[in-house]
Amino acid sequence: MKLMTRLMGAAVIAASALSSAPLFAEGGTLVIVANQVPRHLNGAVQSGIATAVPSTQIFASPLRYDEDWTPQPYLAESWEMSEDGLSLTLNLVQNATFHDGKPVTSEDVAFSIMTIKENHPFQTMFAPVESIDTPDAHTAIIRLSKPHPALLLALSPALAPIIPKHVFGDGQDVKAHPANAMPVGSGPFIVTEFTPGEAIVLKKNPDFFLEGRPKLDEIILRIIQDPSAMVIAMENGEADMYPFLAGSQDIRRLEKVESLTITNEGYAGIGPINWLAFNTASPKLSDMRVRQAIAYAVDRDFITKALHRGVSTQQRGPIIESSPFFDASVEPFNVDLDKAKTLMVEAGFADGMELSVDYIPGPAEQQKTIAEYLKSQLDKIGITVTVRAAPDFPTWAGRVAGHDFELTMDNVFNWGDPVIGVHRTYLTDNIRQGVIWSNTQSYSNARVDELLAAAAVELDIDKRKALYAEFQQIVVGEVPVYFINATPYHTAYTSSMVNPPLGIWGPMHPMDMVELPDAN
Amino acid sequence: MTDAVAFKPESPAREAWRMFRRNIPAMIGVVVLSIIVLATLWGTFFFAGNPYEIVWAPHEAPGVAPEFLLGTDYLGRDIFAGLVTGGGPTLAVGAAAAAITMVIGISLGALAGFYGGWVDNLLMRITEFFQVLPTLLFAMVLVTLFSPTLTTIALAIGVVSWPQTARLTRAEVMKIKELEYVTAARAIGAKNRRIIWQVILPNAAPPLIVSATLTIGVAILFEAGLSFLGLGDPNTMSWGLMIGSNRAYILDAWWPVTFPGLAIFLTVFSVSLIGDGLNDAFNPKLRER
Repeated sequence: MKLMTRLMGAAVIAASALSSAPLFAEGGTLVIVANQVPRHLNGAVQSGIATAVPSTQIFASPLRYDEDWTPQPYLAESWEMSEDGLSLTLNLVQNATFHDGKPVTSEDVAFSIMTIKENHPFQTMFAPVESIDTPDAHTAIIRLSKPHPALLLALSPALAPIIPKHVFGDGQDVKAHPANAMPVGSGPFIVTEFTPGEAIVLKKNPDFFLEGRPKLDEIILRIIQDPSAMVIAMENGEADMYPFLAGSQDIRRLEKVESLTITNEGYAGIGPINWLAFNTASPKLSDMRVRQAIAYAVDRDFITKALHRGVSTQQRGPIIESSPFFDASVEPFNVDLDKAKTLMVEAGFADGMELSVDYIPGPAEQQKTIAEYLKSQLDKIGITVTVRAAPDFPTWAGRVAGHDFELTMDNVFNWGDPVIGVHRTYLTDNIRQGVIWSNTQSYSNARVDELLAAAAVELDIDKRKALYAEFQQIVVGEVPVYFINATPYHTAYTSSMVNPPLGIWGPMHPMDMVELPDAN
Repeated sequence: MTDAVAFKPESPAREAWRMFRRNIPAMIGVVVLSIIVLATLWGTFFFAGNPYEIVWAPHEAPGVAPEFLLGTDYLGRDIFAGLVTGGGPTLAVGAAAAAITMVIGISLGALAGFYGGWVDNLLMRITEFFQVLPTLLFAMVLVTLFSPTLTTIALAIGVVSWPQTARLTRAEVMKIKELEYVTAARAIGAKNRRIIWQVILPNAAPPLIVSATLTIGVAILFEAGLSFLGLGDPNTMSWGLMIGSNRAYILDAWWPVTFPGLAIFLTVFSVSLIGDGLNDAFNPKLRER
């Protein structure tokens, strides 16, 4: 079977290599392996890794971020926030053009941000944006109804691609626009081929507005469904980069390859958290003490060290531990079976109970393995756990979004600023039937709603930290979610690569500085 | 007729058993399978351990701790506990799937073979339809559609593997229905149903018994295959599930995969030996008179 997989992997790669464009190019071809197929390439109306990686190459955005969280000029050469925090002026570069030759103007910026506000799944990202004024072709003024400290981060490449108004402004629904498959942007690369299930080919944009960039001639995103074939492609040198790698076996295996570098840098912005969610609307789980008992029974240390073979790190709260907003003084729920049993008795479940746990199908280590571990571990405090397998992702998402679950494993991203990725899980008004990654826990706490509303508009960083600290204390203590670990995303790349994408957005960032010096 | 002791020929079953006993490989099969079944029964009814309990560190090699003879898997669960408790569901799925196969296959095959004509035509087209479907893929589709529980897995295996049995039954029935004793039964006024079930099928039994035995082996392999592909029932410890969930770590730890693999191999192998032995025993050409 192993040999079979190997042969099949080799065949897939060979077949797709034959069909790809010239192998010899001056600046080199970067081959990235991915296993998720994006629905389309327009990041303005579609979230997720699969779309964001190509979308950030095709589209430019007002600002960009490198290793630290300081915004840097991109389409906006300078910007200015008003004193009251209610308007942001973007001064756009003069020489930016779309791939079809039309100039990028403030009209496009206004159109894009309003389109994102209306269509993007992250409703909180541009919710306070009231209007965008365009006094001249290269000035855009974003008017806010209330201060919005997450605004600058929301203007990142992964979240705010500037799309051409002359293409998408034709009145059609942008989410289903025919141009989404091969969109025109103003980014460093032009999409020339998108074969779902096979490859996305991106060619150098010769008229890119940043002088001397991009360095590469071509980026090929090769879609390989089988994870072991992805690892083999890296081992054989047929691919140069494997982002979002999370399996400990794959990480260890690629670490042994001398020509490769493996790093967990580049995921600070995404802030992926692997957690156990409770349906607090279930009569069995509505009592906080039951959820606390479960939290005391689960051994986070065992999961990260033994089950994840030490590649993941512990996560104790709703805000990723690498974020400046994380409050380290939260209750860690160190494993204590006696306390857990006592809590079960106090909650009136001295005779134990039966619960089911769901998990996201796919690579097992972060999800299914922990669900199986829970079955074993919760047995010790009298909870009989049934592991509910879902045949595919839509089935799982359907159950959780429809609130048809008791416990579920989940993997949710922080997306840089808590306003964008954290609030959605806890706000009472985000308990929305049928929407995955909304408040599917049905958690409701008036004080939490208050704190989050205040933190969303607080411009003073210390005051905002204090608001989030109280929020974290409450949420961790009441356990609508038991936080387990930061998803150990790693990037494997050819060691000779210059400027690998290791900024806060990792590979969801324009790769205009990446070079492959010994490329043939 | 009252006190005359007529020469009584040895009953066919007795004769077959006599033949079978002399077949050494088949007897080895019986012994091995008996041991496996006994161990499984013991594991199901008397074994105190919980196969899901994390008893030790993950991936401890066999023999390091005397109480965990066969080592631990990727969660730190005892492989030995999994092996003895996983046998029950594995064998049960095999037997249930074989039973489903035989029920569907024999019913359709017998009807088609007996009535012929348009009934035969219709039933054989249906059989062909199922026969040309790629079996493993079809079973995967069924298990994916209806969540992976032991029952659906057994049903899926049964539904994909009956055409062989149907064809075999049909051939046997067509052959036997032309024989004199069937004509005789008809002459004394027996109804069709009686002829099929009480005259023809008992006489067609030997090849069907052999086929049923072999089907058990195939069904166990099928269950292992489905579990290997990640379509097993995560709440029921079975050998296939043990292999399926541990295969990602095979380069780190060989034992969590090897022991259930060996158990499946021995079971299927001994079932095959028994099947071959039965085939020989029922075959009149091999019988010494």
